[in-house]
Amino acid sequence: MEDLIKKIEPFGVLEFKRPKERRIFIRIKSEFLRDLISFLIGEYDLRHLSTITGIDLGEEIELLYHFSYKHSIEITIGIKIPKSSLKVPTITDLIPGAIFYEKEVHDMLGVVFEGHPDLSPLILPENWPEGVHPLRKDYSIEKLKELIKK
Amino acid sequence: MSIKKWARIRSPWLIHFNTGGCNGCDIEFVAAITPRYDVERFGILLKGTPRQADILGVTGPITMQVAHRVLRVYKQMPEPKFVVAIGTCAVSGGAFKDGYSVYGGVDTILPVDVYIPGCPPKPEAIINGIVKLIEKIKG
Amino acid sequence: MRYGTTIKVPFGPQHPALKEPECFLFEVEGDFVVNVKPRIGYVHRGIEKAFENNTYMHDLYLAERICGICSHAHTVAFTQTVEGLVSLEIPQRAQYIRLIMAELERLHSHSLWVGIAAHEAGFDTMFMYLWRDREMIMDLMEEISGNRVLHAINTIGGVRRDINDEQANKIRKYLDKFEENIKNYIKVLETENTFLKRTVGVGILKPSDAIALCAVGPTLRASGIKNDVRKDDPYLLYDEIPFEVITHDGCDVFARTIVRCEEMLESIKIIRYALDHMPKGELKVKAPRTFPPNESIGRVEAPRGELIHYTKSNGTSKPERYKVRSPTLGNLASVCKTLIGAHIADIPMILAGIDPCFSCMDRILIKKRS
Repeated sequence: MEDLIKKIEPFGVLEFKRPKERRIFIRIKSEFLRDLISFLIGEYDLRHLSTITGIDLGEEIELLYHFSYKHSIEITIGIKIPKSSLKVPTITDLIPGAIFYEKEVHDMLGVVFEGHPDLSPLILPENWPEGVHPLRKDYSIEKLKELIKK
Repeated sequence: MSIKKWARIRSPWLIHFNTGGCNGCDIEFVAAITPRYDVERFGILLKGTPRQADILGVTGPITMQVAHRVLRVYKQMPEPKFVVAIGTCAVSGGAFKDGYSVYGGVDTILPVDVYIPGCPPKPEAIINGIVKLIEKIKG
Repeated sequence: MRYGTTIKVPFGPQHPALKEPECFLFEVEGDFVVNVKPRIGYVHRGIEKAFENNTYMHDLYLAERICGICSHAHTVAFTQTVEGLVSLEIPQRAQYIRLIMAELERLHSHSLWVGIAAHEAGFDTMFMYLWRDREMIMDLMEEISGNRVLHAINTIGGVRRDINDEQANKIRKYLDKFEENIKNYIKVLETENTFLKRTVGVGILKPSDAIALCAVGPTLRASGIKNDVRKDDPYLLYDEIPFEVITHDGCDVFARTIVRCEEMLESIKIIRYALDHMPKGELKVKAPRTFPPNESIGRVEAPRGELIHYTKSNGTSKPERYKVRSPTLGNLASVCKTLIGAHIADIPMILAGIDPCFSCMDRILIKKRS
């Protein structure tokens, strides 16, 4: 793991930090996501995806892919995508276990995972208004409740 | 007392439906049918289908997705039927009352006969609530 | 055998085999499942949104109410994550108390599950025995924390209640009895034909699939893969305590049962060790109410597997984002895989096999009172 930072340098690394033992945060340019993940799978056998977190930053949405290396070191890979084109390639072909995590992020934040087999609603109710994503910062709970009443 | 009522108060069969609770009330509810608390001594049996049940035990706040399902379960039960709201969430919505996909307590969509507050209520409290319901049926 | 036509069979949201409302839509051909589509979200209460609208102190109680069965695991993960934001070290005694509660919770959760599994297999006697013994553990937790289910013992910076000598002796006494009974039940489960016929060879999850689909916890360990957050990424004081990670090569529901039973025996050892080695001292340190901008990840081995919390703070007393991934969502992809090709009659058994906890999975996003 020590030489990780050198090895991933070609993948557009914006930030690399190790706040604690066994916790690594890497932030990269979004276009390198799939390349970096396939590189890490080949090089470090990084196949356990713990989850995907989506964060609304205002103009952009940040996606954090939490992997665990040998179930021990938690490696978080972060990308940012602009709200004007919320599209990101799927990683379900590299990591089949990502299927429900991507669906969840799609439900809650409206990110479209290109190439995902089925992006039908997973968590939100059936009669949920279309195009409303509850974890976006521009929806307060009062606003959501009003939208639901309609 | 009519023979029907006599039979009913000796065998109130229950169906349990979780409408969005955290499982805390559910495990206490199931604990009530196990050896230490043993509600079968009151003739209470847990049933899998609404068609055989007299009492609907609801745990948890009513979520948007579950609301019309619980109504359907209620409609499938034969008359006369009773509803018991188990736990603070089922009583009033509890900690989740203001959640965006939560309607509130059970009484927002169904008539409730007995409220059992507690987060979660102990099995003794649940048994007490159901025995109160039996008293109520006796009239 | 191929029949050429498939029939759609909905399973849930109200179903005797499911204790919680979730829907699985099965496509079956003859007696076999050819496809399954889960539809979760019946228990979606909007908790992650609520976390953002409440202060950290309030969020602790929300975290507790994500799930009633593994409530302590959620608060351990929550406190670990929030304390990680400012690298707060909590006293040793508090760590031991958290650990003892976590292991007691594992005992209660596993005995609950093995009982349910026996019930699904039509072996109700075992269900009643296990739930009778589980009451001992519930009594211990009530004695320590004052509550049977939602313990509310953790707080940011430590714990709120101590374990005194009298209570420690009571725990030891009860555990001796519990251990003896569990050993007996393992013998019964390993030889009882009704149970073996329903579980051996049912719901096979190959190790390669388990890894590819990111399975966690006892489901993964029952496929022969040695993985346990307590060993791999030690939190609290698990690195100081000797214990074994239980695995089984069966890959079926029977293996999942045995793994959980033997884990209970390990948990008993851990509790005994912790009670003997618990130092005297403070129960909590002062924790800040507001947290500087930072991010932190907490990982905990909940009874059902790896539980992960992530938080991002923004300098106020409320988190910018709080994310929870419960073990059941991690196991959902693998259970869908194991269901394909199974008999219809085995569906409840296989679904129960991962120890599903849907209220964790759907989570809650709550909101603040106006």
